[in-house]
Amino acid sequence: MTDHKDTSLPFEISDASEQKLWQALGDLPRAEPSADLCRRFYEQLEKADRPSLGARIRGWLGLSNNTGWVTATACLLMGFAVAQLSVESDTMQPDRLIALEENIALLNRELVLDRLKNDAPGTRLLGIHNASYLVQDDQEIVQALLVRATEDRSPSVRSAAIDALGPQLSSAAVGDELMNLLESVESPIVQLALVDLVLRNGNQQQLDQLLRLGNEERLHPDLIRHVNKSLGRESI
Amino acid sequence: MRAVSDEQLIEWVANGDASCLGTLFERYHKGVYQFCLQMTRNPEQAEDVVQEVFMKVLRKAGTFRHQGTFKAWLFNIARNTTLDYFRNNKRHKVLAPLDEHAESRLVDHQSAEAVTAGAQKIELLERALAMLPLNFQEVILLGRFEFRNFEELAQALGCKTGTARVRMHRAMQQLNVAYAELNGDPFDD
Repeated sequence: MTDHKDTSLPFEISDASEQKLWQALGDLPRAEPSADLCRRFYEQLEKADRPSLGARIRGWLGLSNNTGWVTATACLLMGFAVAQLSVESDTMQPDRLIALEENIALLNRELVLDRLKNDAPGTRLLGIHNASYLVQDDQEIVQALLVRATEDRSPSVRSAAIDALGPQLSSAAVGDELMNLLESVESPIVQLALVDLVLRNGNQQQLDQLLRLGNEERLHPDLIRHVNKSLGRESI
Repeated sequence: MRAVSDEQLIEWVANGDASCLGTLFERYHKGVYQFCLQMTRNPEQAEDVVQEVFMKVLRKAGTFRHQGTFKAWLFNIARNTTLDYFRNNKRHKVLAPLDEHAESRLVDHQSAEAVTAGAQKIELLERALAMLPLNFQEVILLGRFEFRNFEELAQALGCKTGTARVRMHRAMQQLNVAYAELNGDPFDD
């Protein structure tokens, strides 16, 4: 919404009293909508966004696009191969088993990365859930999660990615990126995820930065209260 | 920071990602609410209209043609939805009476000496605005609070730029007259 106190006159009005009226209109009371409006909107949006049962099953299985089908087929073939080899395990070379396990892990990782780039938000959320188990040891997964956290168009996907990156907050690369995001993000949902993350896993410097943002009233008012309560402060 | 444009977001909504409407809602629901509230003068009904506006955006996302801004398109839907609301609630068509809360505030204003003269003027201005026909109210509200040029304002009103210009001129004249009738004098600082 534009600044209604602005005294500039975008429309040509020659009459002096009309000009004063125009400026006085900027002082009309501007009431805030109730929180109920947001709640009702997001409830309706969730209903509207809910895919059909078939689409949900395909999405859940990661089969909503061709890459998903190819990866699933590859996993299936590898599964048959492992089953066959396990039957013959008495004669099996241990290094061949290790190689097969590595291949399966690799395919699983590719599937997760593929899900993180999927067009459907539900599949990206599933990918984030899977990625949260791999995030400790895999920098490519960390980077893919960071992209979701900072650039995803869906606030719910962004907040899930932020949660998944929780244990990485102490690393400089992830910590700096997420704290920069906290400085600039508009969505209260994403702000909430970041604030919770800092309160849970943040170091002293990150907590100080959070307090500063609260002091400057750059967080949603409810979040400022949340920070106060969590840190046992009366006011920031 | 606004990384993704409104027009890109509505395209994603049209392609089936309804969650992007949440971002557009966060950007514009307060502005749409203010417009609907000034038109309906009833907070609960204004929220119902805002809800309906964004659900219409979801249903009609595929019809957005990028010939104007998303914001102008959104406020055009808000305007039409508000007019539908008035058609379905004919008793509200005459807007001069304020709601109970506003009337009680006005009485308090007139009786309490502590209230400033400036606040009284704003109260009178609100009443004068409410006395105008709907098409004059909407051009003033959208022109004053949401749009900075006649091209976008005309898109929001669904008319030609020249028509918007003339309507604004006449609306301001009529507002001035209505204010003078209520106050006894023309508006003055």
